[in-house]
Amino acid sequence: MKPAKSVVEIWLWGGPSQLETFDPKPNASRDYNGGLKAIQTNVPGMEIHEWWPQLAKCADLYSVIRTMTHKHNGHESAAYLMQTGRTPGGGEVCPAIGAVISQAKKAGYKGDLPPYVILTTAKGRFSEVGFLGADAAPLVTGGQPNSPRFAVDGIVPPASIPLEAAKKRHELLAELDAWRPKEGSANAARAKEFDVAGVEARRIAEGDAAKVFDLSQESEETRNRYGRTHVGQSLLAARRLVEYGVPYVTFNHGGWDSHKRHFETMKKRSAETDQAVAAFLRDLKDRGLLDSTIVWMGGEFGRTPKVGWDPPWNGGRNHFANCFSALVAGGGFKGGCVVGKSNETASKPVERPVSPQDFLGSIYELCGIDPDGLLPNNKGKKMTVLPPQSEAGRLKEIYA
Amino acid sequence: MSRHEETMKLFPDIKTETTRRAFIGCATAMAAWPGVAFANGRAVSTKPPTAAKKSASRKHSAKVDANPFAAWETPDGKATDSVMVRRLYLDLAGRIPTKDEAQEYVFDTNPEKRRLLVERLIASDDFADYWAMRFCDALRVKSEFPINLWPNAVYVYHDRVRRFLKHNEPWDTFGRALLTSQGSDFRDAEANFFRATDKRTPEGWAEATAQVFLGIPPADLDDATRRRFADFLANVKIKNTREWKEEIVYVEGKDRRGELCDLLFGERRADVADAFVRRIRGWFYGADNAKPPKKAVKPLFRVKDVIRGIVLSDEYALGSVTGGFPVRRLDAEVLDDIFCTLSGSVRNYQSPAPEPFSFLPPKRKTVSIEDGSISNGFLTLFGRPARDTGLDNERGEDVTAKQRLYLFNSGKLNKQINNMILPGGRKIDGKLNPLLSLKFPQRIEEIYWRIVSRAPTQREFAILAANRKTRNGGQTFFVYRDLIWCLINTKEFLFRI
Repeated sequence: MKPAKSVVEIWLWGGPSQLETFDPKPNASRDYNGGLKAIQTNVPGMEIHEWWPQLAKCADLYSVIRTMTHKHNGHESAAYLMQTGRTPGGGEVCPAIGAVISQAKKAGYKGDLPPYVILTTAKGRFSEVGFLGADAAPLVTGGQPNSPRFAVDGIVPPASIPLEAAKKRHELLAELDAWRPKEGSANAARAKEFDVAGVEARRIAEGDAAKVFDLSQESEETRNRYGRTHVGQSLLAARRLVEYGVPYVTFNHGGWDSHKRHFETMKKRSAETDQAVAAFLRDLKDRGLLDSTIVWMGGEFGRTPKVGWDPPWNGGRNHFANCFSALVAGGGFKGGCVVGKSNETASKPVERPVSPQDFLGSIYELCGIDPDGLLPNNKGKKMTVLPPQSEAGRLKEIYA
Repeated sequence: MSRHEETMKLFPDIKTETTRRAFIGCATAMAAWPGVAFANGRAVSTKPPTAAKKSASRKHSAKVDANPFAAWETPDGKATDSVMVRRLYLDLAGRIPTKDEAQEYVFDTNPEKRRLLVERLIASDDFADYWAMRFCDALRVKSEFPINLWPNAVYVYHDRVRRFLKHNEPWDTFGRALLTSQGSDFRDAEANFFRATDKRTPEGWAEATAQVFLGIPPADLDDATRRRFADFLANVKIKNTREWKEEIVYVEGKDRRGELCDLLFGERRADVADAFVRRIRGWFYGADNAKPPKKAVKPLFRVKDVIRGIVLSDEYALGSVTGGFPVRRLDAEVLDDIFCTLSGSVRNYQSPAPEPFSFLPPKRKTVSIEDGSISNGFLTLFGRPARDTGLDNERGEDVTAKQRLYLFNSGKLNKQINNMILPGGRKIDGKLNPLLSLKFPQRIEEIYWRIVSRAPTQREFAILAANRKTRNGGQTFFVYRDLIWCLINTKEFLFRI
């Protein structure tokens, strides 16, 4: 099997509820399911929550894991674990999966954009690159994909400076930037680093790379299909980045930390995300990109199955890491499958628990990266991609 | 006729005193620019701009003025006063000098001016803020993962570190206070030394001790030392209270931490002093140049003494073109402060987690942000350290394409540049932007002083004169924001040269 070329991570920061996504419990009491229902997907026997009708129509394109499990109920520790496969501590801050895969794949990638792009804000709270440092850092786009002009700060020059004016500025700069240390000195090396970075920056800004972010090149029909929402247009940008060849794209999709008024938040979030993700998967499929692109969607944990109806929660769910759901598609993952089975309230795995390491290890494996091998850019540390573990837990049952 | 008089004769109409004085330093450069004359305080080209430019660059390459780097280095390889004043403000106060501060130094004829400025700066609050940032990097002062000091403790610990610097407390005294501390993290600031590590075990504290006081990172620490230090710390405990995020550091059984201090600040005193000096020198010159040139006769334990030794040395006065003075890219926080100060823009730093949220006042300097967990895309891009390990290499000092993209094209920076110059733009610190009342070439001069702390050279004037544009009516004008953009994108600006 050919390794996947690209990965798109839809990071549901905050911890989305398993019950209102891919592990609905229509037969449980209202204290668990809020009185809501499941819907049948286009794959016989596979049900998801009623708030995801578009994804229900294309379940053959993705699989869901209902038994993700770990023991960290704090955002930072859980996110670190889900992103790095390691528990916090030990004096090292390890790189997230995006940094690892982009470092492993950058040699075979010829684009001008950095091999790791985040739409549109950094995860924050912990370092995405850990000890790998600035050269492995993602390009964080900033900007608003769902605005008339998706101004990726730095790459898309300000509208008030036309390209011609920008070129003139650079000519003037070349004359004025005259401080130049003696050849062969340490300072000359710093000056060269500066100049080389400048050449690379101009290649990115003035070449085709910047056009990747020009969503106006897409038809109105396509843009509407994804939804005129932040998530919709971000995933459209993600598709364009995959077409361009960027090995790892993260869409940092926050707002799932629904301690209070959970159902109101979740309903709105689900509707726009459902439309966007379904359009995205279909689009990848139609363009022949899904087989070479892994898409994964999930957060750092799920939410407490039992609803807190009373104030101050007013129908809220708290952090819950013991059992939660995630979605995978493409790039060597089969569609239309359900991995694992939880109990009647989605509060614990009863069959086939999946650890963060099992989950990440599977993505690494399908990308052609040995989870037991050394990190691709290990800065001299003898550190493996994932901590030593059994490969038995990897999601081989849904490898295509 | 002196060289200066000769030079001034060539440009009789330059009115401003600062520009005249600045020309002293680049007299030889002047003769190379016959295509440009100054009339009525306004630079005009006697040839069409492009011709002047060509002639200029031809001359430039033909003669290459005796010292094309006169703005930055004297013929004997020393830093010019303009470079020196900028260096001192950046290193000691974490900011660039204002125009007035730079001119005051450059035109001061007192031979003691360097020493006087050093004394003034190291007594300033800016010094304490900037160096507290550095020491808090080393001590891992941050609220969140993986250190988890949490906000209340961050603020008291930072304040304690700042006082250590402000009052020039000896490092061994401060070290003893940290290592023998106990009590509440909210009230006994030093107790946070034991909390500011992701491994709250005797081994973890042993590693923190070796790293902070001996400059030995955990990976290089030998097992015997780790065990020995851990033994002294074996009885340290931490417990929660009923107050949210309050913790108590205490000792259960015999407190042997005094013995550890005796070992470090007695038997190994020279090693501790050496690590201390190296750390500070490393912050000035980079890890490769951290080793002091020769062994100090007496171990130095006060930050200000070490820093005086560095900034008053001959080594520190070397030029960076041929003199070999090691350049350093400006810190993320310092850059942010420069852009915000020059443009009058506000900062909106906040910490959305952990609750309760922290919002910093908009005028607070970025350099003085206490909490390593408070950051943004800009600061991360330019290498603000996460303060996860406390190692010096956590702070990014390299120059990357992503950084240069920001400096070239960022919409936010573009707005800031506009605010530095545009008529009707915002007032800066409540005062109308003085740039607005100036015209070419004084406005050029003002911009140079503000952004790179010096007057433009004759060569630069010539280039800028040649880049004036003509409106349909024949009126010439210059796009000043292009100049500001250019200066911000030079090496001279981005590096402390």
